[in-house]
Amino acid sequence: MKRLWKYMEGRKGFAALMVVVGAGNAAAQTGGWLLVRNAIDKGIVPGSKGVPGAKHHLTVIVLIYLGVAAAGWVLQAKLIRGLATIGQAVVIGLRRDLFDHLTSLSLRYFSQQKAGWIIARLTSDVDAVSDVLSQGMPTLVSNVILLPAAVIALLIADWRLGLIAFVVLPPTLILSRWFQRVSHAANVEQRNRIAAVTAQIAESVAGMAVVQAFNRERRFQAEFDELNDANRAQSTYVQRIFSVFFPSIEFLGVLAMATVVYFGSGLYEDGTLTIGTLITAIYLLQLVFQPLQELSDVYGQLQSAGAAMVKIASILDEESEIHDHPGAEPLPRLDGDLEIDSVVFAYGKDPVLHGISFHLAPGACFALVGESGHGKSTLARLIGRHYDPDQGAVRADGHDLRDVQLRSYRRQLGVVLQDPFLFSGTIASNIRFAKPDATDEEVQAAAAAVGVDRVAARLSGGLDHEVREGGAGLSAGERQLISIARALLADPRILVLDEATSNIDRPTEVLIEQALDRLLKGRTSIIIAHRLSTVRRADEILVVENGQVIQRGSERELLEVDGPFRRLAHTLEGGEPELAVAG
Amino acid sequence: MCAGRLGMSTYVSSVDPPDLGMLPTFRRLLGLWREQWKLGLLGLSFAFLYTLISIVIPILIQRAIDHAIVPHNEDQLPPYLAAIGGLALLRFVINFNRRYATARIGIRIEARMRELLYQAYLRYPRAFYDRHATGQVLSRATNDLYPIRYFIGWGLVQGMQSVMMIVAAGIVLVLVDPRLTLFAAVSLPPIGFVANRFGHRVSPISRRVQARKGDVTEAADEAVVGIEMVQAFGRENDVRERFGDRAEGVRSAALDQAKVEATYVPGLYYLPALSIAAVVFFGGRAVIDGQITIGQFVLFETLLLQLVWPLEAIGWILDLAQRALASAGRSFGWLEGIEPLPEPTSPHHLAETGPLGLRFEHVSFAYGGEVDVLHDLDLVVEPGEIVAVCGSTGAGKTSLLNLLPRFYDPTGGRVLVGGVDTRDLPIAELRADVALVTQRPVLFSVPLRENLTAGREDADWDEVLAACEAAGVDAFGPNLPDGYDTLIGERGINLSGGQRQRVALARALVTRARIVVLDDPLSAVDTLTERRLVARLRPALAGRTVLVATQRLSTVAIADRAVVLRDGRIIESGRPVDLLRAGGEFATLFGDEVIAA
Repeated sequence: MKRLWKYMEGRKGFAALMVVVGAGNAAAQTGGWLLVRNAIDKGIVPGSKGVPGAKHHLTVIVLIYLGVAAAGWVLQAKLIRGLATIGQAVVIGLRRDLFDHLTSLSLRYFSQQKAGWIIARLTSDVDAVSDVLSQGMPTLVSNVILLPAAVIALLIADWRLGLIAFVVLPPTLILSRWFQRVSHAANVEQRNRIAAVTAQIAESVAGMAVVQAFNRERRFQAEFDELNDANRAQSTYVQRIFSVFFPSIEFLGVLAMATVVYFGSGLYEDGTLTIGTLITAIYLLQLVFQPLQELSDVYGQLQSAGAAMVKIASILDEESEIHDHPGAEPLPRLDGDLEIDSVVFAYGKDPVLHGISFHLAPGACFALVGESGHGKSTLARLIGRHYDPDQGAVRADGHDLRDVQLRSYRRQLGVVLQDPFLFSGTIASNIRFAKPDATDEEVQAAAAAVGVDRVAARLSGGLDHEVREGGAGLSAGERQLISIARALLADPRILVLDEATSNIDRPTEVLIEQALDRLLKGRTSIIIAHRLSTVRRADEILVVENGQVIQRGSERELLEVDGPFRRLAHTLEGGEPELAVAG
Repeated sequence: MCAGRLGMSTYVSSVDPPDLGMLPTFRRLLGLWREQWKLGLLGLSFAFLYTLISIVIPILIQRAIDHAIVPHNEDQLPPYLAAIGGLALLRFVINFNRRYATARIGIRIEARMRELLYQAYLRYPRAFYDRHATGQVLSRATNDLYPIRYFIGWGLVQGMQSVMMIVAAGIVLVLVDPRLTLFAAVSLPPIGFVANRFGHRVSPISRRVQARKGDVTEAADEAVVGIEMVQAFGRENDVRERFGDRAEGVRSAALDQAKVEATYVPGLYYLPALSIAAVVFFGGRAVIDGQITIGQFVLFETLLLQLVWPLEAIGWILDLAQRALASAGRSFGWLEGIEPLPEPTSPHHLAETGPLGLRFEHVSFAYGGEVDVLHDLDLVVEPGEIVAVCGSTGAGKTSLLNLLPRFYDPTGGRVLVGGVDTRDLPIAELRADVALVTQRPVLFSVPLRENLTAGREDADWDEVLAACEAAGVDAFGPNLPDGYDTLIGERGINLSGGQRQRVALARALVTRARIVVLDDPLSAVDTLTERRLVARLRPALAGRTVLVATQRLSTVAIADRAVVLRDGRIIESGRPVDLLRAGGEFATLFGDEVIAA
C-alpha cells in the first residue's frame, strides 16, 4: 500500500476531494429516504386526515427529493471518473517502474527466475491491482461511506430503531468475516489449480511434436483430465461458499426488517414513533445490507490485488547487481584494448573462472576453445558486463567496467549468441534492433554482407518477412545469420561471437567468414568456437579448461607441441580416417 | 482420404476455420446445457419459487401495516412476522440451491469445453501449430472460456428469473392500482434503456482493454525472454519506451471504459428515484384521497426497489451473452472446422518383425500455399540402412524428415514405410515405429527417468541405461541432484541445450521403433563429445533404419550413405568418402572441414 501511495504524489488533494464527493453521494442516497419519511408524516398522513396544505407539502418534498437524486447522480459520475483517473495513474506508474527496474536487473536474476514468472508479475499481477483501483475503488469508496451513512440516517430517523438494527449487525459482520476467510483460502487454491491446468496445456502445446511423435496423447489426456477435474471440484467448492453467503445476507436483512417492524409497531402504538419513520427504517435497512454484499465482492478483488502487490514488491526490492556506480563516467569511443585481469567468478558456490587473465590489444582477435562447461561463455558474459567478477577486473581501454556507465560501454559492444533471440517484427526490424536510426540502405547492406538477403529472398516479403515469436518458422541457421547481420550493423568496437556459427552449414559459414573478415577488421574480438576453420583466423588461441587458460599461442605454435590443443584439434576436425571406417 | 494437392485457401481454412455463427453456436451451447438438464431443471424451478417468495414477503408486510400496525391491532402482528421469517428462511434454502445448481452447470460446461479443446489439440496436425501462436491456443482453452461459464452458470437462469420477477411484480402492482402502476413504471423504460446501452457501449471497450493488456503481455514477454540481447545492445530505453506506449494504451482504454461507466452506472443507481418520487407524489395523493392504503403505498415502493436489480441484470446478461457466444463461436469453429490428421479407412499394417525400408516416391511438399519446399523427390532407404541428409540451410532437410511421422502429408507423391503408404497406416502404429529427435529438443516437466521412457513406458531399466550410455546421458545424468529422478524443466532443473539433445536422443533409442529420424541431433553438443557419441551411436542404431539430417561431417560419419538436398531435390547420393572425392556439392559442404584436419 505504501508503494502505491508514492504514485499518488501530487494527486492527494484530488483524492481527498473524491472522498468528499463520495460522502456527498452517500448523503444523497440516505437523505432521499429521510425525505420520503417527511413526505409520509408531514404530507400523506395529515392529508388523509384532511389537514389543508398537506398535498402542497407533498409536492414540495417530491421536488426536493428529485433535486437530491439529481445531485447524487452527478456526484457519482464524478466519483467514478475521478477514481479511475487516480487508479490508472497509479497503475501506469507502477507498471513502468516495474518494467524499468526489471530491464536493469542483471542476467543472474533472469537465469534464476523463470521467464513466465516474471511476465506474470508485469501483466496479470499489475492487472489485478488495476482492476481493484479502477473498478473496485468506486464500489469500495461509495459503499464504505454508505454503510455508516445509512446507520447514521437510521439513528437520525429514530435512535431506538437504529439500536435495534445494531442487534443484527454483529452476526452479519461475523458472517462476512467467515466468508472472507474461507473464500480467500478457497480462491488461492482455485488459482493454483487453474494454474496447473494452464501449465499442462502450455507444455503440451509447446511440445506437441514430441507428444504426437511418441504417441503420448492418451497419457497427456489422462494427466489433463485429472487436473481439469481437480480444478472443477475446487470451482464447485468456491461456488458453494458464495451460494451460502449471499442468500444468508439476504436472510439476515429480512430478519432485521422483521425485528424493526415488531419493535417499531410497539413504539407506534405508544405514539412515540410515526408510521413514516417505521417505513423509512425498512428501506434504510436495505441500504445497510446492500453494501455488505457488494463489499464482500470487492474484498475478493482486494485480496488478489494484495497478493499480487507482494509479488510485485519482491521484484522491486531486487537490487540490480549490475548498475552504474555513483560517479560512473561515460566511456569515450574505445580503441578496443581489452584486459581480463585475474578474474574469479562463481554463479553459486563453486567458481567457474579461477583467476583467468589475458590481454587483447586494440584490433586483436582471440579465440577461446575447449569443451563445453569450462567457462568460455561465462567469460563472454563478463566481457558483456552481464555479471561482475567476484575478484579481479575486466578493463576496456584501461577503464574498469564497473567504473563506467554501462550503456556507454554496451553501445560499443557486439554480441552474437549460439541460440539467438529474434523479436516479433520483420527480419529488417530485427537487424535494425542494434541501431534503430539505421537507414534502409544500411540494413540492406548488413543483410547482404552476411547472406541474409539470400535467405530472405526465399521467404515471402523478403527482408520485410514477418518473424513470429522467438523466430519460429526460421531455421536455426537463418536466425543465426540475422543475428550476425544485427551485430554487423551495430558497428561495435568489441565483438564477442559465442558459438555463433555452430548451426550453420559449411557454405553459409564460408560466406559468413568472408563477412567476418570485414566485420573483425579494426575491432577487438573474441571468438568462441568448435571449428578449427573459425578459430584459425584468431591472432592467438586460448585453450580454456576448468576456468583457466591452460595453453595459448598461435595455431601453428600450438599444433607444434603435443599439448591440449593438438588433442582437441584432432578431435575437432578428425575427419577422414573415421569417415572411411564408417563408409 | 488423401489430402491431395490442396490450394492455399483450402489449406489455410483447414487449420484456421472461421468462427461459428451466433445461432449455431447458441444451439451447441444449449446442447451442452441439456446434458446438464437435471441441474438446469432444478435451477429453473428454484428460480420460480424464489420469485414467488420474493413477491409474497412485501405483500405480507403490506398486510401487517394495514391490518395490524395502522389499526393498532398489536396481537395480529406476530403471525405476519412469523410468516415473513419462515418464508425468508425458506427463500434462503431455495436461493442457495438455485445459485449452487446453476453455478455447477457453468463449471461443468467450462470443464467439458476445455476437455474437448484439449482432446482436439492433441490430434491437430502440425500445420495448425504453424499457424497459431502458443498463447492463442492456450487462452482459447482458459481465459476465453470464462464468459461461457458465467453466462451459462449465472446469466441464463438469472435472466429468466429477472423476467419472472418483472412479470410477477407487474401483475401484483396492476391488481393493486393500475393507474399508479403506470406512474410508477415511469423509470423502468429508461433503466432498461440505459442498462442496454451500457452493455452495448462497454463491451467493445472492455474488449479493447483486454486487447491492450494482450499488447502489454507481448511486449513484456519479448523483453524478458530476449533480455540478454536487449542488454547486450544497450537497448533498454527502446524496449522501455515500447512497453510504456503499450501501458499507456491500457490506461487510455481503461479511462474510456471509466467514462462510459460514469455516464451510465449512476443512471442505474438514481433512475429508480424517479419511480419512488412518482409513487410518493401520485401514491401519496391516492392515500390522501383514500384510494389506496398506506400499506399498499409501501408495497409499491418495495416492489419497485426489487425490480431495479433484475432490470440491470438483463443489461449485463445481454452483454455477457454476446461475449459468451463470440468465445464459444471461436471454440466451436476450431472444434468443428479443423480436421485432425485423417486415419485410413481401411488400414494396412506393418510387418511384425524385421527392419523396415523407406521409399519417397515423387514427393512434393509445400507449407500452406507457399512455394514448394520439396520437388518431385525420390529416395529409397534400404532396411537397416543409415542415410545422412545433407544440404545447406533451408534446403528442405527438416521438411523431408517431418513427412515420416506424418507431421505433414506430402502435397504430391507418396511416402512408403515397409512398402506401405504412410497414409494407409494407423497413425499410432506408424508413430510407434518412427522415433524422432527434433532439431530443438523438447523435454517434459517430469523426472529425467520418465522423459527417457516417454516412448516406451515399460522399458527395462538396463535398456534405458544402455541407451543413456550410447547417447551420452550417462555423462551427466547420475550427477544431477536426484540422479535420474531429477525433475526436469520449468519447475526443476534446466538442462543445457546439448544435454537436452542427448536426452532426446536416448529417449528415441529407448523406443522399439524400427525407424529413427534424427534432425541435427548433436548440433548443440561440443565437438569432442560429439566424436565420442558418434562412435557409440553406430552400434546402438544397428538393425534400425535411420535418416539423419546434419550440418557436421562428424555426424555424417555414422551414415552408410549420404544424400545431398538442394532446392528440394536430391542432387547427390553415395558413400560419404566417394562424395568427398567426387568434388560435388557434398565436397563443397564439408570439404574444407576435412582439409582442416
